[in-house]
Amino acid sequence: MNRAVAPRARPLPGFFVSRKAYGHIPMQIRIKLYASLSKLLPEGVKPHEGFLLDIDDAMTPNQLIDLLKIPRPMAHLILCNGTYIKPADRDSAVFEPDDVFAVWPPVAGG
Amino acid sequence: MNNSQLLRYSRHLMLPEVDYAGQERLLAGRVLIIGLGGLGSASAMYLAAAGVGHLVLVDDDVVEISNLQRQIVHGTGSIGQTKVASAAARLGDLNPEVQLTALSERLDPEALLREVRAADVVVDGSDNFSTRFAVNAACVEARTPLVSGAAIRLEGQLAVLRPDLGNRPCYACLYPPADGADARLSCSESGVLAPVVGVVGSLQAVEVIRLLTGFSEADGRRLTLWSALDGVWQTVKFDRDPACPVCGSGLSVSG
Repeated sequence: MNRAVAPRARPLPGFFVSRKAYGHIPMQIRIKLYASLSKLLPEGVKPHEGFLLDIDDAMTPNQLIDLLKIPRPMAHLILCNGTYIKPADRDSAVFEPDDVFAVWPPVAGG
Repeated sequence: MNNSQLLRYSRHLMLPEVDYAGQERLLAGRVLIIGLGGLGSASAMYLAAAGVGHLVLVDDDVVEISNLQRQIVHGTGSIGQTKVASAAARLGDLNPEVQLTALSERLDPEALLREVRAADVVVDGSDNFSTRFAVNAACVEARTPLVSGAAIRLEGQLAVLRPDLGNRPCYACLYPPADGADARLSCSESGVLAPVVGVVGSLQAVEVIRLLTGFSEADGRRLTLWSALDGVWQTVKFDRDPACPVCGSGLSVSG
């Protein structure tokens, strides 16, 4: 998992290429894991800061969940930049550079 | 309202959002509170203090010393009592005008539906998914608004569900009953920071007052997420699941 931690954001490419035309554009997104999922963060990562991860733009939320070793039932709420990604949309490529990807487990405590 | 009520609720009467008419609606309101733990402690105390006419308290648990770090309606002297008796004593002291019904049991589906039908609003502060699913199903059936709160560790969630309005999601659209039931956690297994349940329970009380007085309308499609770790609040929109086994067709839609 340490491989996943990038110390600094790289400069973004100065152009935008259609994902349909080219695909597999490398990019960085920020990962935040909440509640009990914070134990899956790489060592040394502060949960409230999250960490930067290199992906390519073909990656889907479900692939990312698997890469982060989050059991699928524990990835209850998936948010990209604060927008909820429905379960039906989690097998589509949705990421853009600098996106913030947040995952919440199911919460029932009272 | 009599003179003592005018004094007791004077700080509400000063607010144009509540005013005399809104306070009368609170006094006429009946709220069903499921769970008198951390969330129920905060919501029940604010709702009693605010003058909600009738609170029906449901919990089959007894007060334990490990509850007292966050379940502020209970006191050290209440250890061993039922949670509803302990809460009713505290709430009765807070506001003797509030009618209290204490049910120290896990309601069967018919009794739950009866109570949900009788209530204007339901507050879910329970600590497990099976209760939450049962409460949601009854609210969908009875078309009673549901103010659902949850908290764990340093995180809280709040959703106002409006089966009384058309084409709104229900709790099961957000938390499908069949989805990963074994992976779920509660406060007793994971820990929770004391005031986090107070924040979420207080928000639930706000939403109940908003529903009863009608000073503004919750649209029933929003989930509020809060983490005390980063102090960030987020509100996400979610929609009805047409395949929801509770409020939808129950059939999965492909494509």
